[in-house]
Amino acid sequence: MTDVSEKLLIVEDLSTTFATAGGPLPAVANISFDLGRNETIGIVGESGSGKTVLSRTIMGLQPRTNVSVTGSVLLDGNEMVGASEDFKRRLWGTEVAMVFQDPMTSLNPVMRIGKQIDEALRVRLGMSKQDAKARAIELLELVGIPSPVQRYKAYPGQLSGGMRQRVVIAIALACSPKLLMADEPTTGLDVTIQAQILNLLDELKERLHMSVVLVTHDLGVVATRTSRIVVMYAGRIVEIGATRDVFANHRMPYTRALLESSPKVSNASHTRLITIPGRPPNLLKLTQGCSFAPRCSYATDKCHQERPELQAADQPGHSFACWNPLPTTRGDSAT
Amino acid sequence: MTDARQPLLKVRDLKVTFGKGSHAVSAVAGVSFDVYEGETLGLVGESGCGKSTTGKALMRIVEPSSGSIELDGADLAGLKKGGRQLRNIRTRMQMIFQDPISSLNPRRRVKDIVAEPLDCWKTVTGHDRDVLVSDLLSKVGIDPAVYGNRYARQFSGGQCQRISIARSLAMRPKLLICDEMVSALDVSVQAQILNLLEDLKAEYGLTLLFIAHDLAVVKNVSDRVAVMYLGKICEIGPADALYEAPAHPYTKFLLGAALEADPDSPMNAQVLEGEPPSPMNPPSGCRFRTRCPNATEKCASEEPQPQEVAPGHQVSCHYPLSITRK
Repeated sequence: MTDVSEKLLIVEDLSTTFATAGGPLPAVANISFDLGRNETIGIVGESGSGKTVLSRTIMGLQPRTNVSVTGSVLLDGNEMVGASEDFKRRLWGTEVAMVFQDPMTSLNPVMRIGKQIDEALRVRLGMSKQDAKARAIELLELVGIPSPVQRYKAYPGQLSGGMRQRVVIAIALACSPKLLMADEPTTGLDVTIQAQILNLLDELKERLHMSVVLVTHDLGVVATRTSRIVVMYAGRIVEIGATRDVFANHRMPYTRALLESSPKVSNASHTRLITIPGRPPNLLKLTQGCSFAPRCSYATDKCHQERPELQAADQPGHSFACWNPLPTTRGDSAT
Repeated sequence: MTDARQPLLKVRDLKVTFGKGSHAVSAVAGVSFDVYEGETLGLVGESGCGKSTTGKALMRIVEPSSGSIELDGADLAGLKKGGRQLRNIRTRMQMIFQDPISSLNPRRRVKDIVAEPLDCWKTVTGHDRDVLVSDLLSKVGIDPAVYGNRYARQFSGGQCQRISIARSLAMRPKLLICDEMVSALDVSVQAQILNLLEDLKAEYGLTLLFIAHDLAVVKNVSDRVAVMYLGKICEIGPADALYEAPAHPYTKFLLGAALEADPDSPMNAQVLEGEPPSPMNPPSGCRFRTRCPNATEKCASEEPQPQEVAPGHQVSCHYPLSITRK
């Protein structure tokens, strides 16, 4: 906690492959990145890009069978890959906690929310019933739930989606984790509620000195709230760098496609969107080459035959995987 | 600019109430608007504001409890449910739904799905029908020779939405009601569908009511935008003007909360606190007053009526924000 320079999370060459009836499915392949203390990193990608599997693998939440995980996840010095359930269980809550996408299904509908927060406190921290209750009410207050004493007794069904997501965050924070994994924490919430929740996460990160991994498909969510971004496509990192560099000086055509195809509030109405043809590839039928090559207008023969590795861009910490990268000297923003 | 044109769809004081007595929920509490021929009217709002219910009530998929719906001069609201007249009029308006996969029968072939309206009405039969179906499928970017005989379950979300669009166009409708039609799709696919919709709108001379929660998407396709809050329209106006200078405090908050994919975009300074009240027990007067920073006693006692703040730009607020163009 005191050593600021030390990395909290180091992911190295991490791959998660599922054994399916159709053959091995490489959901996450050769991912490496790290995360400093009190830093927020964004993981962006479309559905099927492997961002959720990646965050679950970092947590050690993969299924017990039909999956093989290779590489290394060092969480505050603890190796998560290949660790026993008991070992991981000791880290869950205190080292790392997760906020899942769907607040409707990640809470037990027939258990009072207070009890669901107590559970973590009593099991993990060995608190007494009274202490746990007091702390749970504190947590409810911390995440901005009005009249926490009354709400302690509420069932999830009595709360709105935004309030439920706040409860899920309270549970995740119960044992003061050093790393918070937020997997699409605001997807499915209304924009005004989304803004509330994202502000809350930001504020809590500063207050509790946490690191946050923010997994999302929405570039708007990561644009202003992360220091760095990882762009994933077909299970691999295609571009990584400081948020500003990735938005303004992206080199990988997929990153540009992602930015250009999202409609913007600042565009005039009836602005023609720039699209890329096709859709993400079937992970069971990946070719030797770049996974994006079939949709890429810059693709050459080399792209179809040989997979590009991540290479350094001009800015420190910025790298991309592309044989025919976009030129560096371009406008300051993709519009 | 819209005044010269004729409204294709005229909705007056449309109300939809679910349940009875103390359990009554007024999902749509008196909504009036026009959709002019050839334009796209965007309908935005947060979940529970009644935007989808409005769309469904226009199609009479849910029954309006009062109000009038006029399509091309014919009143729909008074027609007998399930009657021939309503069936006839429905060929002129079609709806595209949010979940593309569940809105198609997984066990039917694509070309049969698209042909179903034609088979119901027997307007086009035999060889002509097959030609038309192939034509519709090619128009939405699905190769009829390759995919026509496949089952709906074999397609991805984006492709299913293309098939839904082809089906909705089979009867050459004048009005298309799109209810969150791209919200389940990835951005790259969403962009394809939005562009396709714009192309088809021009080609078929369609009029669109585009219902969505995503402000950027709505602005992108709409000529005019209506903002709904708790069952009522709080502001309606030309898309660019409304986004640039919202007159209703709620619209301003909504736009402020929208996230731009731009690291230099200002972090929303003012975040709307709280959550919408329950439509079972809406606040008196202005429905937004419980969350509005400018609310006064007048807002609680008196319901604001729509007033024009600029040509074609109406707002229901006692204290509209000043419309000063930047």
